[in-house]
Parts: sequence; C-alpha cells; structure tokens
Amino acid sequence: MAKMSERRYSEITGRAVLYGILIIVAAYYLVPLLIMIMTSFRSMDEIRMGQLIELPRSFTLDAWHQAWNQVQIGARDELGLRPYFINSIKMVIPAVAISTILGALNGYVLSFWKFRGSELFFAALLLGCFLPFQAILLPQSQLLGWLGLTGSISGLVLTHVVYGVSFTTLFFRNYYVNLPGELIKAAKLDGAGFWMIFFRIILPLSSPILVVTVIWQFTQIWNDFLFGVVFSDPSSQPVTVGLNNMVNSTTGETRYNVDMAGAIIAALPTILVYVLAGKYFVRGLTAGSVKG
Amino acid sequence: MAELKIENVNKSFGETHILKGINLDIPDGEFVILVGPSGCGKSTLLNCVAGLEEVTSGAIRLGDKDMTRVAPKDRDIAMVFQSYALYPNMNVYKNIAFGLEIRKMPKAEIQAEVSRVAKLLQIEHMLDRKPSQLSGGQRQRVAMGRALARRPQIYLFDEPLSNLDAKLRVEMRTEMKKLHQRLATTIVYVTHDQIEAMTLADRIAVMKDGIVQQFGTPQEVYDDPANIFVAGFMGSPSMNFLECEVSRVDDGFAVEVVSEAQSYLLPVDPNQADLSGYEGKRVILGIRPEQITHVMPHVAEQPFVTKVTVKIEVVEPTGADTLVLARINDQECECRVHPTESGQPGEMMDMLFNMSKAVFFDPKTEDRL
Repeated sequence: MAKMSERRYSEITGRAVLYGILIIVAAYYLVPLLIMIMTSFRSMDEIRMGQLIELPRSFTLDAWHQAWNQVQIGARDELGLRPYFINSIKMVIPAVAISTILGALNGYVLSFWKFRGSELFFAALLLGCFLPFQAILLPQSQLLGWLGLTGSISGLVLTHVVYGVSFTTLFFRNYYVNLPGELIKAAKLDGAGFWMIFFRIILPLSSPILVVTVIWQFTQIWNDFLFGVVFSDPSSQPVTVGLNNMVNSTTGETRYNVDMAGAIIAALPTILVYVLAGKYFVRGLTAGSVKG
Repeated sequence: MAELKIENVNKSFGETHILKGINLDIPDGEFVILVGPSGCGKSTLLNCVAGLEEVTSGAIRLGDKDMTRVAPKDRDIAMVFQSYALYPNMNVYKNIAFGLEIRKMPKAEIQAEVSRVAKLLQIEHMLDRKPSQLSGGQRQRVAMGRALARRPQIYLFDEPLSNLDAKLRVEMRTEMKKLHQRLATTIVYVTHDQIEAMTLADRIAVMKDGIVQQFGTPQEVYDDPANIFVAGFMGSPSMNFLECEVSRVDDGFAVEVVSEAQSYLLPVDPNQADLSGYEGKRVILGIRPEQITHVMPHVAEQPFVTKVTVKIEVVEPTGADTLVLARINDQECECRVHPTESGQPGEMMDMLFNMSKAVFFDPKTEDRL
C-alpha cells in the first residue's frame, strides 16, 4: 500500500515539474508580448511618471492612432504606418500566391512528369534554400535595374517569388512523392492531360501542404526587412521598414507606447494567419509522415 | 472489342533489360492472364500495353491499328490498378464519371452510363460516398466500375485482388469470371497467384525474367509444362522433381527410384516422353502430388502404376486431402492421400506412383523432354 502511494506521488511530482517548466517557458515567450500590449494602451504621461513595466492605470487608444496614421515617419507626406502597411499587403498577396502556385507546379512536374535531368534540376533548386539573403542582394539589384523594376512593389514581389520558389517547390515535391503514382496513371488512362490532372486531382489533394506553404511564405515575406529596405524606395517600402524608420527617426523622447503599438500593428497579420491556420500548419507538416 | 497483338516487344530501363522479345496474340474476347514471380516483367508488359511505359522496340496492335506510339488516353484501354487508384477527392459517382466527362459525353448519357455500371456491380447505394468511406472490396468494385463505364476495347487488370483478404478474394474471383462471361471482352490480367491464373484464365502466359515461358490454356500449362519453371510455378502444392536414372525395360523405358534402400523401376508412358537418347543418363522426373496416392485397387490395375513403400516424414492435413512428405532418391517428395488412409510420421506406407501424367526434364537445360 505504501509502495503504491509512493509511486503515485512520484508520478504527480513528475507531472508538476513538467508543467512548471512548461509554464515558465510559456511565460518567457508571453510576458514580452503582454508588456507590449499593455504599454501600447498607456499614455506617455503615465509611462514617464511611473516605470516602463507596470500595469496600466488608464486605458487609451491614442498610441494606436498615432502609430497608424498620425506619426511623422521620415520626410513623407502621408503620416503613420498605414501607407507602409498597404505596401506590405500589395507585396505579400501576389508574392505568396505566385510563389505557391509555381511551387505546386514544380513539385507536380518533379514528382510525376520526370524528365531527363529533373533530379539535377531539383538539386539545383534545393541549393536555393541555402542561399543567404545577403548573397543575392547585388545581382538581384542589377537584375531589377535591367528589368526597370527598381524601387517598385513589383520588384519586391519578383524578388520574393524567386527566393521563395526553392522552398515552395521543396514542400510540394515532398508532399507529392507520397501520393500514389497509380493515381496519375489512372487519370492518364481516363484521358486527362497535364493540366486536367493537376487541377482536378492533384490540387484538390494538396490542401494540407497548401496551408503550410502559404503560412511559411506569408511569414517570410511579411517579416522580411533586408529585401524590403534594399530594393524599395520610400513609396514602396513595406511595413517592416516603416516600423524601423518610425522607431529610429523620432527626435526627442522615445514614445514607447507608440513604438509598441506600431510593432504590434506590423506583427498582427502573421499572428492572425497563425491563429486562423495554425492547426492545419501542424497537420500539414506531419502529413505524409504517417500513412492514413 | 478487338484482338490484341504484342509483337516482339522489348523494354529496357537504362541497362536493365526487363522485357525480352514478348510475342502474344490475344483474340477478341479472350481472358488472358500474365503470371509469374515478382520482377518477371508482367506489370511492365501491362503498362506497355496501356501506354504508360513506352516500349524500347517492337509493336503493340489493337485490332488493325498500330498503338505502339499512341498516347494512353487514345488507346481506348481501361485499367484497374492494384491500389485501385480511386481519386480520393471525388465521390464514387464522380470517380466513374471522370473519364466520361473528359471525353465530353453529354450529362444525361453519363448519368445513364454510371447507373448502368453501378447496377451491374451493385454499388448503386454508395454513389455519393468518398473512397475513404469504402471497404477494400467496395473500392475494388468502384475501380472496376470506372473501367467498365468507358466500354473500352480491352481491359487491363494489374493484380486487382491482391489487396483483399483471402475470403473476399475468392468471392471477387468468381464475380470477375461471371463478369467476363457476361461482357465477353478482351481482358489482360496480371497476377502472381497461380490459383487465380488457373481459375480465371482462358489462356495463361507464364513469365520469368522478361520472357514468356509458355502460353496456353490452364490445363495445357498444368499438364504439359514447357520447362521446370512452369511446372514448379503452376499448381499448389507444387510438382515433385526427382532426379533419377533412365534404364531400358522390355518394351520401353523406366526410371529408377530408391525408397528406404529399396529400388523400384517406374515405367515411362511413351506418350509422355521419348527417352531413347537418355538411356543410362539422368533425367528429372516431374510428378504431381496427386499422382502419388495411397493404394486404391482400381488405380493399382491401371498401366504405368507402381507400388512403392515409403517412410512418412511429415504429415500435413489440409482437410480434403492429407499431404504426406516422403523421401525418394534422397529428395523430398510430396504425396496426396485420403485423410483416413494417412499413416503417422515415422511409419512406412505403400504409395501408388501413377506415371501416366508424369513429365521429364533435361537436368541441364531444364526443358521438357
């Protein structure tokens, strides 16, 4: 009897330690976010009088208004992060869509329509996953210059598509090689051609990997700073660059509340995407590893 | 419906030569089974007929048309795959209708065709289900339905029953046979299961190493095997192969077998083989287990039947018969006896060797004599 209760206690202790560690780790990640949110709702007077890390005594949306469309960023006429945010949206939607579609097509061809040298082609594409951003800055700016896309949103879209296709191809290809090849054979005998098989059979089966790819590409492209700052001019800068300019170009006192609100605004779309599709993200990442 | 001619087809993948000069003439309406161990090229041949693989050389003709370089969709061929390959994103109706839609058949006709096929295969009640909601046997039916709906000239089946459990496999086998009798279309069917081949086929092509070893009716292949491989592959339990010496007896030849230090001369039926060139040499005697039985008076009186006393090593009851493993010429030999007649392991037992269906092979070439 004593032995049994001993074992029960040791189990409970183990659980307690486990949960304790998990709570600490979760807090480690959540507390900074919490402080950001709290600070963004405080007024500057309150921050100045008290401490930076403190529970808000009053609630105001002033900092959010400021960050969104009132604060002067650099020397531009339009105020706030809003124009930058719109640039980011104009950039991220086509860039994600095009790179995802290209990745799906590449993966489809590399899995089911192998040609002479297709393995080499895939290996070369994979190499792109290991290229650091910095390595392509100069050649890419030269290329954009030749194409007349320097400093435009289209130029940014092109850059992100080219850089992202390696990853999207890898995702789709690895997903498609687990689909049975007989499916394609059956469709061929049914009379379906290349596009018909892709749109009617392969694409409808791709939802898990589509979600993974879209989330991955969206996060990468939305959060990118380097391409955004190098290949854009003031009219086409994305929100990451805008946030940086806002924080670094203010004179006088640091307005913590506005900075925090701006940072949250810049991060909001990626958070939203994760909340909405995170479940499918995990499911998609493990798809294929376990046969259904 | 049309006849299928496979003429001198070769297929290589790089250095590997898979098919080595295949020739098969399949008349209209015949049910032909390609059978052989895995890796013998039977599925590759089927894919070549379907157009999913290109032949390296040779020709494939359907009726009077040369299909060798024609795209799969234009060959008017339907195929049922081992994994069924149902489109997981479509329900049963859509799966069957897909090929018809692509061929731009009017909606009303598609509907009529799908319901005809569904009725034929008794899958009417599951038309709006997804493949994932079906059992193995049901998926199998849908896959067949998809093939039937297009009314192609020939049907190809790639091990369609091998994913089913044993009981269902036997059921579907019978249904397949009924279906063929009703439709009377040309069917080429691949399997590695020789029982499936025996029960279903009008003619069997036994393949090994990319070569057709024998092409004939099930009974021909069973009774008249072209070589040791065919003889050993067809039939279960498989044929006994005993190496023995040929000697001349009064009016013909006999082969010598030794059981428990006792020597017996088994007379050779001259209709089965002419062993005149082999006197004093060794040949391989092929005799099926059912030709070695317990002593039955009406059999004992027949010509070419000899009584041999053997020692029982192992007894394997199968229900209908009991298989008795004995040792002849220091080689294992399986005999098929009535369950009540079988002795116990270690006991001696009299067996009748019926040589009227025995076959003989050259020990070097392994070809039939």
